[in-house]
Amino acid sequence: MTRITIPIGPQHPALKEPLSFLLTAEGERIVDSVLRLGYVHRGLERICQQRSYVQNVHVVERVCGICSHVHTTVYCQGVEALLGLQVPPRALYLRTLMCELERIHSHLLWLGVLAEHIGFTTIFMYAWRDREIALDIMEELSGGRVAHAANVIGGVRIDVDEAQMDSILVRLDDLERQIETFLGVIQHERSFQARTRGVGHLSADQVRRYCVVGPVARASGVDVDLRRDAPYAAYDRVNFRVITAQAGDVWACTVVRTLEIVESLHICRQLLAELPAGPLTVRAPRRVPPGEVVSRGEAPRGELIYYIRSDGSDRPARVKIRTPTLTTLLILPDQLRGVHTADMPAVLAGVDLCIACADR
Amino acid sequence: MHLEAILQTLRETFPAETIEAQALPIDETFIALPPDCVHLAVQVLIERNDLGHLSTITGQDTGSEIELLYHFWDGRGLTLKTSLPREGVHITTITDLISGASYYEREVSEMLGVTFDGHPDPRPLLLPDDWDGEAPLRHQPLPPSPPELGGTEGGRRGAGGEGR
Repeated sequence: MTRITIPIGPQHPALKEPLSFLLTAEGERIVDSVLRLGYVHRGLERICQQRSYVQNVHVVERVCGICSHVHTTVYCQGVEALLGLQVPPRALYLRTLMCELERIHSHLLWLGVLAEHIGFTTIFMYAWRDREIALDIMEELSGGRVAHAANVIGGVRIDVDEAQMDSILVRLDDLERQIETFLGVIQHERSFQARTRGVGHLSADQVRRYCVVGPVARASGVDVDLRRDAPYAAYDRVNFRVITAQAGDVWACTVVRTLEIVESLHICRQLLAELPAGPLTVRAPRRVPPGEVVSRGEAPRGELIYYIRSDGSDRPARVKIRTPTLTTLLILPDQLRGVHTADMPAVLAGVDLCIACADR
Repeated sequence: MHLEAILQTLRETFPAETIEAQALPIDETFIALPPDCVHLAVQVLIERNDLGHLSTITGQDTGSEIELLYHFWDGRGLTLKTSLPREGVHITTITDLISGASYYEREVSEMLGVTFDGHPDPRPLLLPDDWDGEAPLRHQPLPPSPPELGGTEGGRRGAGGEGR
């Protein structure tokens, strides 16, 4: 059969951010694909070397437009470790609360994007409507919907009072009822299953070989979650389940992420119920003693890692950022092989790409 | 991950080298190795100590040498650290052992000018195909500040060159 090469991107309706594919199709089946990244490379690692530690909190927040808070969390905990700071417990709880609200809004955004890509506009509308609940809470706490600037080195800048807490708890209950509706659709709606089951399959072996992280790995049965395996912030003080599935297809990714939203809601409730009193920050010196640190955290898309080296000045000598999307991009050509061209948007949506994260 | 077992594996594999663990904050261990030992070290650690997940590879220019850090994770962090001279930087790829290393090596390669011998796909990852400038993360003087916007006609021509 004749092979056709189809360029997709860097600008394309199936892509929310610039990425370029060269797909080779044989009839309607994709047989090969070549990826090209770098369209939103901003040189942020280099910029970090030219700014002070305090300024860099705002630089790393702009790596990603969805999971901005987890970047500052992982960066700040790295710098705090270099400084030997003990962050107050209340600050750790509030940090974790923002991380989980961010996971909820990221997963709901993703569910909407997937639904839109498979032509299920109703779920797209509802998911994005309900995502506003999480965004509203984050805006009330921090003043920002996407860039929250909640973290500072040594603690947090945000606080929550009794009245806010009650109002948040009511809205979390509303949100949970909506998530149950989505779960019903995912598990019982046949047209949804027809578009996602068996599509974009990844085996646990492929996941391990390519060092894939996060919900994509968990959907293939690889049980990893840094919130449980290497607890940071206040994750050692809350109970939650790590959701895994075995199928490894887009449907399994959907189930894992949607159930993770429910777990995140439980974590938020526990954090608010047990929120300790006390200060929000400790004073951090401007200069950081010489040393190196590797800081990790579980972003909505999986393991996020920062390497920070200090030479004793007020600017880092090196900040290395590896975002979870980079791991899933590497395996995409494997995942797309044999897929029907019409299912390509579903596979792309299924792995939850964040190109701005990958390019930095 | 058992640090003692890892150290023992490495000491048995490289009896001539001094292998020491350096503890870092947040449960991370650094082990320094000569560059020609890295490939074999990764291979034996995968075979004997089940060291599977490569988080990333960091490359950095310390001013006197190029340092590569292979960050592994298996319940705890383990980083293999190696130093290369700044000129003619070569090291053997580990993509034959860990497919996931491919993008990380490509990024280190373009950002610091390191050649990974045997890499199956050594194209640039993030930089443009026609990039012919210096490796961006090499030590270099900071670029001059960009010209002020809204300057005089002469100022703009001076910054942008003729014909813009």
